[in-house]
Amino acid sequence: MGIFSVYIVNKAGGLIYQYDHNSQRTEIEKTFSYPLELVLKTFDEKVMVAFGERDGIKVGHTVLSINGIPAEGKYLQDRRDILEVLNDETNYPINIKFGRAKLTANEKLMLASMFHSLFAIGCQLSPEQRSSGIELLETDTFKLHCFQTMTGIKFMVITDPKQTAVDIFLKKLYEVYSDFALKNPFYSLDMPIRCELFDNNLQLAIEQAERLGVSNI
Amino acid sequence: MTIYNFYVFDRNGTCLYYVDWNRRKQSGMSADEEYKLMYGMIFSIKSFVNRISPTDVKDGFMSFKTSQYKLHFFESLSGLKFIMNTDLNVGNIRDNLKQIYSTIYVEYVVKNPNCELDKQITSDLFRTKLDDYIKGLPFFAAKVS
Amino acid sequence: MSRQSARGTDIRKVNGELFTLTYGALVSQLMKDYENDEEVNKQLEKMGYNIGVRLIEDFLARANSNRCNDFRETADIISKVAFKMYLGITPVISNWSPSGDEFSLLIENNPLIDFVELPEGHSSLNYSNILTGVLKGALEMVQMDVDVKFVQDQLKGDNLTELRLKFIKRLEDAIPAGED
Repeated sequence: MGIFSVYIVNKAGGLIYQYDHNSQRTEIEKTFSYPLELVLKTFDEKVMVAFGERDGIKVGHTVLSINGIPAEGKYLQDRRDILEVLNDETNYPINIKFGRAKLTANEKLMLASMFHSLFAIGCQLSPEQRSSGIELLETDTFKLHCFQTMTGIKFMVITDPKQTAVDIFLKKLYEVYSDFALKNPFYSLDMPIRCELFDNNLQLAIEQAERLGVSNI
Repeated sequence: MTIYNFYVFDRNGTCLYYVDWNRRKQSGMSADEEYKLMYGMIFSIKSFVNRISPTDVKDGFMSFKTSQYKLHFFESLSGLKFIMNTDLNVGNIRDNLKQIYSTIYVEYVVKNPNCELDKQITSDLFRTKLDDYIKGLPFFAAKVS
Repeated sequence: MSRQSARGTDIRKVNGELFTLTYGALVSQLMKDYENDEEVNKQLEKMGYNIGVRLIEDFLARANSNRCNDFRETADIISKVAFKMYLGITPVISNWSPSGDEFSLLIENNPLIDFVELPEGHSSLNYSNILTGVLKGALEMVQMDVDVKFVQDQLKGDNLTELRLKFIKRLEDAIPAGED
């Protein structure tokens, strides 16, 4: 719990670092008989539940595997089309695993640049002078904190809605970034960060923030 | 505390109503373009939130803050979107937005057979009721220098 | 002001018979104007649709329910909350299709048909067809495309009135112009 993930975005909107912390995602496996009582659709190249809920399977969950064969996008690993398999009565009874899909590297890139533009629009639509972009976004399941440095780097942290002291963590993150990425002579600016020291220190900062955030509640 | 402005969109992205009170900066574009941009931003935030959320979302997006203002969002199950911008000191006002929906929009627009639901709201009754309601809110301050 | 304070604690009730008579007058006038049962059905459905898209907002504002993510949940709310609230009856939900996308509402005491005797030669008229429109319009506003039709009608000698609802698809929000 506490801190879910960290994104670092350069000034052009490119994702240069991403880390998922504590990602425990629910997965539900169930054997179905024909016909399937769930309405499925393809969304983002995945097969997703559009309507209908059974035994913890929720709208928005994707098909993760069928009869133990993992899904890759709209297809199973053996190249069969998932929707076709599920529409064929002869394949039943069938065992399907559902869950919230993990974000792929590509989707993370896309989401980072999406937030980059939302940040700018939030500033443009401000009813008040001299506004920044979006600094805190609240939903019922998480909070997104964003800190933009003077140089235009954005640090985005996704946390539990109850996590506190995220501001301190963001400052710490900036320090870690300048110490272990920027000061590393082999790191080139605005490029993806691949430094072990950075990883380790980020990890430490997260653990510290979670302890701090919890003790403050 | 202060309330800057207020938007209502239907699910087709039509801006049904816009009003401002203490707005201090214009977006530098025509009203129509601004509505389009606002609807587009809300639409993208919703889709962003759905994808990036680590767990299943229910209400989803509720509000965001910048250094200067806070945007509050409420969406009815029928897809009507209510957006209110306030200053940063205003807390959670979802219940107020919900109330605007259920006691002002439903009463004075939906139940008024002269109001077409997918067109801009021109009803004077709606305008006055909304204005009275907003001005009666504890976090509405008429003039802050 | 009186309108606003009326919400929630509304004790003004319309006499049920007045309502039934009003509806009856409406249908019989339509039958005179159109002289064609199919056309009357269509008109009734259209009127119902226009009522439905408005009524749903009133319903949501009052009932405070959450979004349905399952058609069984939808069926329950239609019968136990919506029908109860607006017509004072609770239709029985039955005849689910195996894939759970179709069900029937069985109505024994349809308030619209009190005092009604269908005249000869109107076997294709669905007297209460306004209900199909209301359901369709209301559900469409909560992003569900549903097909609604009469299967049985007490006015035509059936034991009860049966409305069949079939889920077609989930509707999505309009995508803003210029985006994918």
